[in-house]
Amino acid sequence: MVTSTVPARSGSAFSSLHMPQRPRWFKVLAVVLVTLLLAGSGVLARDALARSSRAAATTVPQSAALEQQLGVRFSRVAVVADGGLITLSYVVLDSDKATRFQSDVAHPPTLSSEARKLSTSRVSLMKQGHTLRAGQTYYLVYENTRAAIRPGERVTIVDGSLTLAHVPVL
Amino acid sequence: MKLLKRAGARRVAVGAVVASVVAGTVAFAPVSAAESNTEGMQCDTDAHSNFSLTAQAGYVSTPDGNSIYMWSYGNSTRGFQLPGPTLCVTSGDTVTVVLHNSLPEPTSILFPGQSGVTADGNAAQPQFDTSGSTLTSLVQPAAPNNGSVTYRFTAGSPGSYLYSSGTDVEKQKQMGLYGALVVRPAGKTNQVNDRIDSAFTAGKEYLFLLSEVDPDVHLAVERNLPINWSAYTARYFMINGRSMPDTLAPNNASWLPGQPYGAMVHIKPYDKVTNPLPATIRYLNAGTVNYPFHPHGSDERVIDRDGHPLVGPSGQDLSFLKYDLDVGPGQTLDTLMDWRSEYNATSNPIPTQIPTITDQLLVGTDTWFSESGYLGTKNPTPTFITSNNECGEYYHIAHSHALQQATNYGATFGGMMTLFRIDPPTGCPTK
Repeated sequence: MVTSTVPARSGSAFSSLHMPQRPRWFKVLAVVLVTLLLAGSGVLARDALARSSRAAATTVPQSAALEQQLGVRFSRVAVVADGGLITLSYVVLDSDKATRFQSDVAHPPTLSSEARKLSTSRVSLMKQGHTLRAGQTYYLVYENTRAAIRPGERVTIVDGSLTLAHVPVL
Repeated sequence: MKLLKRAGARRVAVGAVVASVVAGTVAFAPVSAAESNTEGMQCDTDAHSNFSLTAQAGYVSTPDGNSIYMWSYGNSTRGFQLPGPTLCVTSGDTVTVVLHNSLPEPTSILFPGQSGVTADGNAAQPQFDTSGSTLTSLVQPAAPNNGSVTYRFTAGSPGSYLYSSGTDVEKQKQMGLYGALVVRPAGKTNQVNDRIDSAFTAGKEYLFLLSEVDPDVHLAVERNLPINWSAYTARYFMINGRSMPDTLAPNNASWLPGQPYGAMVHIKPYDKVTNPLPATIRYLNAGTVNYPFHPHGSDERVIDRDGHPLVGPSGQDLSFLKYDLDVGPGQTLDTLMDWRSEYNATSNPIPTQIPTITDQLLVGTDTWFSESGYLGTKNPTPTFITSNNECGEYYHIAHSHALQQATNYGATFGGMMTLFRIDPPTGCPTK
């Protein structure tokens, strides 16, 4: 039985091996635990990054001037109906102004793609015709003219002289 | 010994590298999507028809900006969703559903129309309190706070079925404990039932699970307050857990994380060569009243009711065309739907003068009318009218004809409403 050992190389990666020997199962268990620990923290990090990225990508910018003038805050632009239609959602801030905005069917906001020279001002049905309640969300539906607006891109909402740029498209 | 130690060290080092790689892979791998089709029915399937559902709480959003506390059956690996997953199985299969209950009260699942249903190995049957006089559940429940129960049955006749809570039914169904079970005929994936005339176009399969919500009930449950059932008034009406216009959004829309199922039908017209088969639409009612669902523009042929084909004693075809599909509570209807151009501009022109857009009563400054009666034809409209029609396609509205059910808390053009999109045979060139 060999009882002597070669002195460990000082500072080498193997120095730690001169600690009291642990059984093999202990090392395997350690590797498994380290794997699970790293994977777990990785998953948490990934989810946090994904949440942060999604939040940044879907945050709709706000314009005090636009809100003051129209009485609404735009909250979402989404491509629906298999790409054929767009929904523009907005929250009512001022009922009287918002009702005027909703009722002005001849001058709907235009949605202009920031990725290509296409836009749509073609509002279709769903003008709900009510006195709009403050705090409640309503919507307009647009024809997606020549597939102007696509998910993952950004649009500029134009209403007369008012603009709201870099609105994410869901 | 030294060699052993070095070998051990190498194993540890290799293990650490593997651990890092595995951890990195897990951490930065894309989040898997349960389903990929953007429109149409999404199935949960399993090679052995084994499913695991968890009754749990979550929130859904409504188009008017409300957020509502709900209960639902979620796939145990995915979490909360409304409605519960659409479970697709084959007739005759042995199906196992393990229900885990994270709710604070007992809950269960009824599987009407299925054969030999058992719960934890015993015949599924009503449950009574210890006195034997008070019904506590229509079937064995899972205990509250992480209890579970395993249901097993033989999948019944091909068709659509509603599965839902059998415990405190009025409350728990209102809270959202329901989903769809689709039983397919063995060996006939693209048929609704065993009849050859129930065949449908692959991929053109839709499911409309209709329901309603009284938000006051949900607020009371969330706050652990008594429910005033005498004041029950449904305010939201849903197809697949969504209200118009969210019904138009694609499956798994990012802004509706707990409401994964869309409800827009997208088809092309019948053509005996290129598109000979219809779409199928399955209607299920998880609510408290009839929902007279009315697709504009085309009848649908009702071929199944409650998972059974409409046939006579000798197999006679008793299916029928209907333009108002009156779906009763707990009931299901399976339909076939195609869109046929009755007229053709050259071979069979419309035998009358087609009114221009300005002759029509409902016209405003915009229209969906293509200024033509023929699908795929788009004529010029007067300059003061905006046409929303891109390639002569049609968007037919489809909604509950009890019009209070087509609102979002009273605001019209909401609720139980969606669109049927019919593209020209060649498709829409811009899409």
